[in-house]
Amino acid sequence: MSNAAPVLAAQGLVKRFFGNPVLKDVSIEIVPGRVHALLGENGAGKSTLVNLLSGVLSPDEGRLLVDGQPCARLTPALARRHGIAVVQQELSLAPHLSVVENVALGAVPTRRGLIDYRRLAVEVGRVLDRLGLDVALDQPVEELPLGRRQLVEIAKALYRQPRVLILDEPTSSLTAHEVQALFKVLAELKREGTALVYISHRMNEIMHLCDWVTVLKDGTRTADRTMDGIDPPALVRLMVGREPGDLFPPFRSTTRDEPALEARALTAPGVGGVDLVVRQGEVLGIGGLLGQGQEELLLALYGALDAQAERLATGGVDRPSRNPADAIGRGLAYVPADRKREAVLLPLSIGFNLTLPGLRRLARRGLRRFAREAEVARELTAKLNVRGGGPERAVQLLSGGNQQKVALARWLPLSPKVLLLNDPTRGVDVDTKREIYLRLKGMAAGGMAVILLSSDALELVHLCDRVLVFRDGRIAADLPHGQASEEAIVAASLGVARQEAA
Amino acid sequence: MSGLLRHRVTLGWLVVVALWVAAGLLKPGFAKIGHLRYLLELASITGIVAAGQTLVVIGGGIDLSVAAIITFAAIILPLLTFPFDPSGMGAVAMTLAITTAIGGLNGIGVVLLRVHPLILTLATATILQGALILIAGGSAISTVNPAVTFLGNGALFGLPMTIVTWLVIAAVTLFVLHGTVLGSWLFALGTNDRAARLAGVGAGQAILAVHAASGFCAGLAGLLLLGMNRQGYVGIGEPYLLGSIAAVVLGGTSILGGRGTYLGTIAGSILLVTITALITVVNASPGWRAILFGGLILGLLLISGRERSG
Amino acid sequence: MRQVPSGAALHARLIWRRNRGQIGLFVLLALLLALYAFLHPGLLSWAGIARFTQNWFPVALVAIAQTLVMLMGGIDLAIGATVGLGTVLAATLVGESALGAGLGITATVAIGVAAGGLVGTIVALFGLPAIIVTLASSFLIGGAALLVMPRPGGSMPGWLSEGLVGVHPTALLILILILVAWRVLRATPLGLSIDAAGDNPAGAFRSGVNVALARIAAYAISGGLAAFAGVYVAAQTGAGDPLIGNPLTLQSITAAVLGGVGFLGGQGTIRGAVAGSLLLAVLVNVMFFLGLPPVAQYVMQGLIIVAAMGIKRLRERAA
Repeated sequence: MSNAAPVLAAQGLVKRFFGNPVLKDVSIEIVPGRVHALLGENGAGKSTLVNLLSGVLSPDEGRLLVDGQPCARLTPALARRHGIAVVQQELSLAPHLSVVENVALGAVPTRRGLIDYRRLAVEVGRVLDRLGLDVALDQPVEELPLGRRQLVEIAKALYRQPRVLILDEPTSSLTAHEVQALFKVLAELKREGTALVYISHRMNEIMHLCDWVTVLKDGTRTADRTMDGIDPPALVRLMVGREPGDLFPPFRSTTRDEPALEARALTAPGVGGVDLVVRQGEVLGIGGLLGQGQEELLLALYGALDAQAERLATGGVDRPSRNPADAIGRGLAYVPADRKREAVLLPLSIGFNLTLPGLRRLARRGLRRFAREAEVARELTAKLNVRGGGPERAVQLLSGGNQQKVALARWLPLSPKVLLLNDPTRGVDVDTKREIYLRLKGMAAGGMAVILLSSDALELVHLCDRVLVFRDGRIAADLPHGQASEEAIVAASLGVARQEAA
Repeated sequence: MSGLLRHRVTLGWLVVVALWVAAGLLKPGFAKIGHLRYLLELASITGIVAAGQTLVVIGGGIDLSVAAIITFAAIILPLLTFPFDPSGMGAVAMTLAITTAIGGLNGIGVVLLRVHPLILTLATATILQGALILIAGGSAISTVNPAVTFLGNGALFGLPMTIVTWLVIAAVTLFVLHGTVLGSWLFALGTNDRAARLAGVGAGQAILAVHAASGFCAGLAGLLLLGMNRQGYVGIGEPYLLGSIAAVVLGGTSILGGRGTYLGTIAGSILLVTITALITVVNASPGWRAILFGGLILGLLLISGRERSG
Repeated sequence: MRQVPSGAALHARLIWRRNRGQIGLFVLLALLLALYAFLHPGLLSWAGIARFTQNWFPVALVAIAQTLVMLMGGIDLAIGATVGLGTVLAATLVGESALGAGLGITATVAIGVAAGGLVGTIVALFGLPAIIVTLASSFLIGGAALLVMPRPGGSMPGWLSEGLVGVHPTALLILILILVAWRVLRATPLGLSIDAAGDNPAGAFRSGVNVALARIAAYAISGGLAAFAGVYVAAQTGAGDPLIGNPLTLQSITAAVLGGVGFLGGQGTIRGAVAGSLLLAVLVNVMFFLGLPPVAQYVMQGLIIVAAMGIKRLRERAA
């Protein structure tokens, strides 16, 4: 292990969003030639920490040190000059620009004030080759599939020849082959003395790659130690704060015989011919690598994407839903993954958000009945244990977990027959997760069909009666509970038996 | 809703009161009841156009066709004179039906073609402008329609009809915004269009409804204007496009939608007319008038704080 | 190992790639130009080209100006007012001598750049919506124009008017120079920043691009182009007129939309803007030759905006 002085260090960082602390007194030291794992559940504060380290956000308290020198106000441009590069989960690529322009953006070589296209071609070409990324330099990024775009994002960071390279879930949409090429490059960088920070949910990657680990839980640092002598269950314990099994309620199937939704040959943008049946009381899991058509499937069922199907029967009607309002009328409900952009209306009140989907039913001939609305809002906040203030407070003042409870609770008055959940525990604290799992199983026990799309394989393993694994917009595997292990799901999503897509 | 909003609406009303008091002290004629009533009559035209505009803007859109629709109403009504319609009520109803339909077409375009309302209503305005020149040419068209003359000049219980009409429109607008499902849908759509649709908000119906309402309001304003002037001509509606948007923004409604109330727009309309009157009183040139006007909008925007950039 | 292209080859390929999605527009344009040349064979002469480009030129300039702002996810409702300000400044400042003319034109364009830059600064730094800031600025700029010249007047030197709008294709030449200047700017980091900031502002910011500066630059260039359009209009009419630019606001939006700029930023290109404005100009001329009344232009302009946007949306849905 290297004992070099840290290139980048943070001391006592605190960051709040709308008064909610998301990071509480976090310190970290990034050392050259070391691969530093940053672990934590979704919403533990990893992305916020990365944004602080790279100057995208400024801390409310605490300080950052670069080469031991305090850095008063770090901006992305300044971070780049200090040699800090980040591969973000949320891609920072400009879709209409070419691969070269994207890779070099913000750091283009110039000669006499003009972009030096010669050097650009040579230097960017070298980085792409190193990653084994075979794309034309002048190809617009939007034409590339998601995995390739993720590699371009990595190339962009490498191109800057960083001293500190932070990778936030870099492998989420890469094939096994691409992952290997990436790991080879990371090993080289480590030998060359680059300080690496690696964020991933995949325990085998962490075990294979990392030397040191910092664990965040609900915004506080719960561990900061070497990886020597630590095993995956111990890591999970550090992240979750209890045995992994405790998080999930004991599995009990409540599936009934009557189907709640049937689809045959369902196609939509990103979805190529899917057959599926979900029964009343069943929890149907949807897994796979990022962007294989899972979200599009939910949106198509919900009428938010144009869909065609030989058969799409639910709520006594056999046709695709025309729009979400139509789908809701047929007994569907959808909880989006991107809570802030697609679910809750942040500046509006908790009460408004809770009553919005059912507003038309609460009203009489289009006129609102305020007393009924207030009553419903009160009942729902109590029932789902929403903490953080009365119904008149704005939703943006709530913590992520409580926002998610609002996003879920607002559907209860409509008693949906089929509940579509898109990664419902993303960015949610552990206690809320448990509450959501219990609520979800409870609703299934009451006869509701639940379709659960999740990026967390453990959720699929422990909660679902069946798991459909998606690949290239199709169902690659249909695994019943018991056979759906973490390994089986990952193997099916990588399409181990199939040729890699060209 | 948020304290900031209350603050912005209150700010609008405070500025109005302060201006009236200051102007009354400096210029004795200003605070006479007759003059203030005259200001309110003028403000009612802007206020009625801005009622439709407020609904559209809170829903996340904008209507740039209001000026053309006002002109359209003021020119088309005199042409709708029929022997079977001595009271002129039939012509009024027909004109309002047509302008509501034009607004409805805006809504259909926005919903079905998914064209941004800014561009679509701009296009509607251009098309109407061409049609108006074809219909009216360059000349003014006078009217003797009794219903319109009454609307523009009559009084009810001593209150001018323009103000009475405004009060009715204001009451309906406030009720729609704060007491109906449609109103809630507008706030939801304006705050976050995608999230609102995914929550089952009837976006198509709501957008169609507010554009039709805006067409109706603009048509009504055109009729009042025609009644006051007794003649319609191409360009009569021009000042009310920017006027209606300025009234909405000065009243604290976010131009990006989702936040605001018609109460603020009422203050904005009165504020606008008062400023125009004051600028006329101090005898400023048209150039200075425009600069004061633009500077005021910008100044109030900067004071009342940031919005998401658009 | 990949074949490394030479710098010039890479640059050429990047420029070519930006035609993507615009071939349809170019084909339509070629067909319409052919139709127009068929209806009006006089087009295919120096005089014909000169006269045609003179009508087209101001629209082309404001179309580029509007596209730059719309690329940034904004919209500029003050373009017409800036053109008006340009005409009155030109008619006041441009002197008889060559030096006087040069200084006057430079001063006019500089004031346009400053006005645009100021608007851009307010939008970029205060986070206020472009539509309302440019609306307010249209009053400020229009008011300033009225202060300079309350009613049409002033004059432009005869030789300058002759040079710019006489029977020779000066306008076409200047337009080509402007396109070349843009090509050069686009080959600088700032030019790349402008495109990237329009395409994915958050991503560009995280990549270390000074997004605020890119925005301000786009608005400033836009203001300069609009003011220069004013100089040209003044040379055409021989006088300044504070209100003459107003119809150009709508035409600039029409042309920019026809040229393919999306309403939420990104995707627009300068060549698209020029093509869009050319399409508009040819349509107007063809309609004139088909004997339609001038007011039919309004109706046509409105309809093609809706059609262009509608087709674009439908194509996106089909894709």
